[in-house]
Amino acid sequence: MHELGIAMSIAEAAGEEAARYAGSRVCAVHLRLGGLSGVVKEALLFSWDASCEGTPLAGAQLVIQEVPGNDLEVAALELEE
Amino acid sequence: MTATTRIVEVRRSVLKANDLIAAELRDRFERAGVCVVSLVSSPGSGKTAFLEKTLTLLRARGRRTSALVGDLATDNDAARLARSGAPVKQIVTGTVCHLDASMVRSALEGWDLNDLDFLFIENVGNLVCPASYDLGERIRVVLMSVTEGEDKPLKYPTIFNSADLAVITKADLAEAVEFDLEAATRSINTVRPGMDIRIVSAKTGQGMNDLMELWDRRR
Repeated sequence: MHELGIAMSIAEAAGEEAARYAGSRVCAVHLRLGGLSGVVKEALLFSWDASCEGTPLAGAQLVIQEVPGNDLEVAALELEE
Repeated sequence: MTATTRIVEVRRSVLKANDLIAAELRDRFERAGVCVVSLVSSPGSGKTAFLEKTLTLLRARGRRTSALVGDLATDNDAARLARSGAPVKQIVTGTVCHLDASMVRSALEGWDLNDLDFLFIENVGNLVCPASYDLGERIRVVLMSVTEGEDKPLKYPTIFNSADLAVITKADLAEAVEFDLEAATRSINTVRPGMDIRIVSAKTGQGMNDLMELWDRRR
């Protein structure tokens, strides 16, 4: 179970990307999750809120798209202006 | 007034930070001419005994070897491995269930890699999480003991897929636990066709010298 660490890495990466859009609030983070990545979707979702707490991403939803391969990629940010 | 939302594409790999450090390490290892071998297995499958024997045999052959060993707590394994005479360093991960490239990089601070022929990295006992983290190693070895059940590779396909070599340990107990080597080989080949499989006993030394040849060939 290393999803908490992974969730924190996702939050960190998404937070860095979001910093480029000052004034916008991130309402969702879209993630591409490969079936061979070794990362479990449910455990990731379970860890997500705790990972975002106290960061500018707090309250953002994690939207997971399951894909083939071993991708683990922040695909897009949904911003509220 | 309702807030408008828009989607911006990012396409940023999450493990990328680790991959970058691993690539940097791999480059350093290659330039220094050190062959780096990582060991992954479940807890209790005999990684440390295997490594202790390996370090001893390689040193007897005049190879300059060292090891990094990861555990959640204690430096017991490092103390045990140091008996081989090789330089050994413990990485205590706390609650983290795997090693990552940055932990390896920090542990190597102050080491002159040019002084080494081999560096072994023993991961935290775990067949799940280590699969996702490249450590810059040349060879990743997955170990399973004869006491674990022949279908282990079917249960943990990702780690067998990410490894270069499978080593079946505790061969001296095979008969007592009615270990079925053919079934185990079949399981491994199901998840990783053609994988190189060795059966060894660190206790009796069975199969260990063949592996010494293999390390030397890959150096």
